[in-house]
Amino acid sequence: MKPPILIIIMATIMTGTMIVMLSSHWLLIWIGFEMNMLAIIPILMKKYNPRAMEASTKYFLTQATASMLLMMGVTINLLYSGQWVVSKISNPIASIMMTTALTMKLGLSPFHFWVPEVTQGITLMSGMILLTWQKIAPMSILYQISPSINTNLLMLMALTSVLVGGWGGLNQTQLRKIMAYSSIAHMGWMAAIITYNPTMMVLNLTLYILMTLSTFMLFMLNSSTTTLSLSHMWNKFPLITSMILILMLSLGGLPPLSGFIPKWMIIQELTKNNMIIIPTLMAITALLNLYFYLRLTYSTALTMFPSTNNMKMKWQFEYTKKATLLPPLIITSTMLLPLTPMLSVLD
Amino acid sequence: MLKIIIPTIMLIPLTWMSKPNMIWINTTTYGLLISLISLSYLNQPNDNTLNSSLMFFSDSLSAPLLALTTWLLPLMLMASQHHLSKEPLTRKKLYISMLILLQLFLIMTFTASELIFFYILFEATLIPTLIIITRWGNQTERLNAGLYFLFYTLMGSLPLLVALLYIHNFMGSLNFLMIQYWIQPLPNSWSNIFLWLACMMAFMVKMPLYGLHLWLPKAHVEAPIAGSMVLAAVLLKLGGYGMMRITTLLNPLTNFMAYPFMMLSLWGMIMTSSICLRQTDLKSLIAYSSVSHMALVIVAVLIQTPWSYMGATALMIAHGLTSSMLFCLANSNYERIHSRTMILARGLQTLLPLMAAWWLLASLTNLALPPTINLIGELFVVMSSFSWSNITIILMGINIIITALYSLYMLITTQRGKYSHHIKNIKPSFTRENALMTLHLLPLLLLSLNPKIILGPIY
Repeated sequence: MKPPILIIIMATIMTGTMIVMLSSHWLLIWIGFEMNMLAIIPILMKKYNPRAMEASTKYFLTQATASMLLMMGVTINLLYSGQWVVSKISNPIASIMMTTALTMKLGLSPFHFWVPEVTQGITLMSGMILLTWQKIAPMSILYQISPSINTNLLMLMALTSVLVGGWGGLNQTQLRKIMAYSSIAHMGWMAAIITYNPTMMVLNLTLYILMTLSTFMLFMLNSSTTTLSLSHMWNKFPLITSMILILMLSLGGLPPLSGFIPKWMIIQELTKNNMIIIPTLMAITALLNLYFYLRLTYSTALTMFPSTNNMKMKWQFEYTKKATLLPPLIITSTMLLPLTPMLSVLD
Repeated sequence: MLKIIIPTIMLIPLTWMSKPNMIWINTTTYGLLISLISLSYLNQPNDNTLNSSLMFFSDSLSAPLLALTTWLLPLMLMASQHHLSKEPLTRKKLYISMLILLQLFLIMTFTASELIFFYILFEATLIPTLIIITRWGNQTERLNAGLYFLFYTLMGSLPLLVALLYIHNFMGSLNFLMIQYWIQPLPNSWSNIFLWLACMMAFMVKMPLYGLHLWLPKAHVEAPIAGSMVLAAVLLKLGGYGMMRITTLLNPLTNFMAYPFMMLSLWGMIMTSSICLRQTDLKSLIAYSSVSHMALVIVAVLIQTPWSYMGATALMIAHGLTSSMLFCLANSNYERIHSRTMILARGLQTLLPLMAAWWLLASLTNLALPPTINLIGELFVVMSSFSWSNITIILMGINIIITALYSLYMLITTQRGKYSHHIKNIKPSFTRENALMTLHLLPLLLLSLNPKIILGPIY
């Protein structure tokens, strides 16, 4: 894509999300969502193959439906409260419609079916934008209406998302689908505490975005989209294999890596609110996630893929691909746990 | 406590920046120096005043375990020298860094005073162990072993996290020293039963309890020697240590809840001892023997009498040294014949007589010969379980007999009899190996002169 066009489209995507985050009028929020969605369609379609077309179409359909549902909720809210300002939604019907619409945009279960297929059909870079940047706008709206969200609905969606994200990823070898199911599971964790302590949702979102960015960048260094191609990485970039090991364990939520912080904080907030079974269930289901991350690390870092003697020891050139900000990203995605007491500034 | 932690952290730059022919020497020497520092903690004024800081403390229960952990690092490094000699330099340094990292997490775990800190480090010890087992193990089964190890432990410990956060909410703080004074009796109700289970299952899996012990033979057998040593000697004791700490919060419900686990442990120790009699794999035999000894510790901790706590602590230290020594001996066999089958290397006494002496002493301490500390531990546990219920003496007696049987079986199969004719050209014992066995055995024998330092806080 020609650079000027790419810049305009990227700017539109960012402006769309910014408009969503910064406005207090529901109509502007809808405008922001639409801008965002329309601008990201060409990014999803960078490659002209039927798979990408299908992915962009599915993405467009789900996001458009969700925006329309959101407008419906906004209109009902207008009817019952008489104003367009984003604040506590007094009418439960409007609240449920808005929640449903936003969870559809996020890819929470039971509206998660589009996420793996869309992520699989597009390039790694577009997948990265899809799974990180696109989550910010709906999450910010959920944050703003969090006092009025129906807890039962969102908790149910969160639980089923964590289950689906765990079980769905078990049978995958394509890295993009694995990251899609990982996204579904993490969104589930975030949705679970929005109604109790929205700040923890922001913490989880931040750490999730950092970890997913690092993971995608490591995949892009090797242009690997399957587990098989990742397993050849020991030969070309041996250092990256250790990075993938730590990053995958962090995504799985193992202490003492920073992926554990959101899980710990979320379980703490949920137990403070007298819910014991649900965090236990979520934590145990997150082990399913850990299983397929661990399988990735087994094939990448901990075992040497069977290879002939001719393949051993390629020339190890310097990296030519751009890995923007990769070292700080990896450090923040893995070593942030000792800074957890700093969360007390939020009190 | 920083005087141990900072030197341990600095061991990592030491390995990476040493000259290639000095990495083993440097790390082993400084590891031994660090263990010398940790010995100073064994001097316990018995009024619980050894609180180092807000986050770390040491008392008579954690000090011997701390000393064991720091003592074990140089021993692990000595034991690993041979099988890593053919690897490229970076991989050697990575291996040593993993061992040092594991040591660091273990030191912090044993001296943590806040229970969530303890939990995070408890889980953190899993990662270096997983990497050591899966990356440097020798057979394809190691992948499965790592998986079993990680997931058994995590399944048990995630409910522990929820339970600890609940207790934090309920009590206000989880600092172990303060909680001792705030405990309220825990009545018998369904939710308290689940709380008890959530708190204890993590440690039960780690010990391991008989029904949940499947990960242990796999992990011990597939791990390289340093992995087996640290698993058998220290990681299992994490479970015992955690149980002893957390049962202070769970009274008097423990009297009610302990029954199923007591049954499992009492029956399990006989079962695993009997399996040892039928093992062909040497490391597997030692692994099952670990399960059997740890079942005694579980029985002791669940009875909760002063003598049983003393016996549990002594047994943990004694078993740590004994089991680690047995794994080193098995490894010296493995390095020569590259097989773990016992009968392939018979009659070693004729060829390696000094090693046979170490085998003899290790087997004797394994079967709890007086006056070693193994005996003190086992005897205290047997006596306290007899006072808990008279019938357990039968089971304990059977266990002691079967333990003696398999220890002697292992000794006789590998050492006595006519040697198999294909092992005539094995290398003689290295000085390194003899030093390794001595360093395991000396603390064990010297502690029998003054066992009060390992008898724990109740003494």
